[in-house]
Amino acid sequence: MGMSARPTLLLLCLFAFFACSFQLPSPTKWVINKSCFLKVTGSTNINKFECTIANYYKPDTLTIYRGGNNEGVKISGKMELGVSKFDCRNPVMTADLRKTLKVKTFPHLTINFLSFDRYPNFKEETGKLNGKVNIELAGVTKQFDVNYKFIASSTNSLMLVGTQRVNFSDFKIIPPRKLGGMIETNNELDIEFNLQLKVLN
Amino acid sequence: MSKRLKSNNYQSPKQMKKIALSGLLAGAVLFIVSYGGLYLSVRFFPSLFIEYNSPLFNSDGSRDLMFYMHPFIISFALSWFWDRFKGVFSDTFFLRVFEFAFVYATVALLPVMWITFSSLDITITTVSSWFAYGIMQSIVAGFVFSKVNP
Repeated sequence: MGMSARPTLLLLCLFAFFACSFQLPSPTKWVINKSCFLKVTGSTNINKFECTIANYYKPDTLTIYRGGNNEGVKISGKMELGVSKFDCRNPVMTADLRKTLKVKTFPHLTINFLSFDRYPNFKEETGKLNGKVNIELAGVTKQFDVNYKFIASSTNSLMLVGTQRVNFSDFKIIPPRKLGGMIETNNELDIEFNLQLKVLN
Repeated sequence: MSKRLKSNNYQSPKQMKKIALSGLLAGAVLFIVSYGGLYLSVRFFPSLFIEYNSPLFNSDGSRDLMFYMHPFIISFALSWFWDRFKGVFSDTFFLRVFEFAFVYATVALLPVMWITFSSLDITITTVSSWFAYGIMQSIVAGFVFSKVNP
């Protein structure tokens, strides 16, 4: 090893030092550990409807990639719900919603979690977050900003409630209209999903 | 008897024109009365219409034109029926209108509503409302025919 190798070695050592200093925290896993639900609320010119997919439980995992102090949080993971599981507490409305959402062709509604604006502080009992999700419905995927409310029940468990207003037209769905338009469903739908999560590592 | 014989004859072009005109006029009246009534009913009695939020009913608007043509379809059919059989109805203005509506309800509406209720997943309230709606339409059309094509 000659004199010329010394600066290279020094550079390597410096690189290794900084790489270790700025190493990102290892990803955190959030496991869906209890029954969750998704609620869709909408209205027609004659009534309101509230349809839910209750007791969603699949052992899905959300992987949380934390950035630096003020950076956002990237997420990978999704929630895949069967459209045929929607229940509007009225068989007629239930069947109509399923048909409108084209259940036969597109049987799943998928929420793909993309990011949070920050990592929830588990020292706070409740708090608010913003985030982004991709919602896939009736074969169309669209990104939405979601307002989350989190309730930390302990240091490693969390309830996350996301709400967002979407339109039927966002998914290229024509809101149902009956009797020549005398009965019309409004374009807006309020989506609320409730996740019960357990934080690993 | 002469009325009855006359009504059984084949329609002349003049009579056909009368049938068409009275059908058109009755169609226009029925359009206003039927859809006006339907609009007001949806507005003031919305709970009666919740059952229409069903996949049984067309929901993409592709058949709206057909839906709104219905008063003219029924009025032309009833106009022909009236012209053909008006001779057998009573001579009294009101009585013949109601007799006409009764015959239509018995011959056409009742069997159709019967098979509809027996085969589709709809309530008795809905099918009864359709029956009443049909009778109302035939009474309104009967009044028009009775005036225009006595």
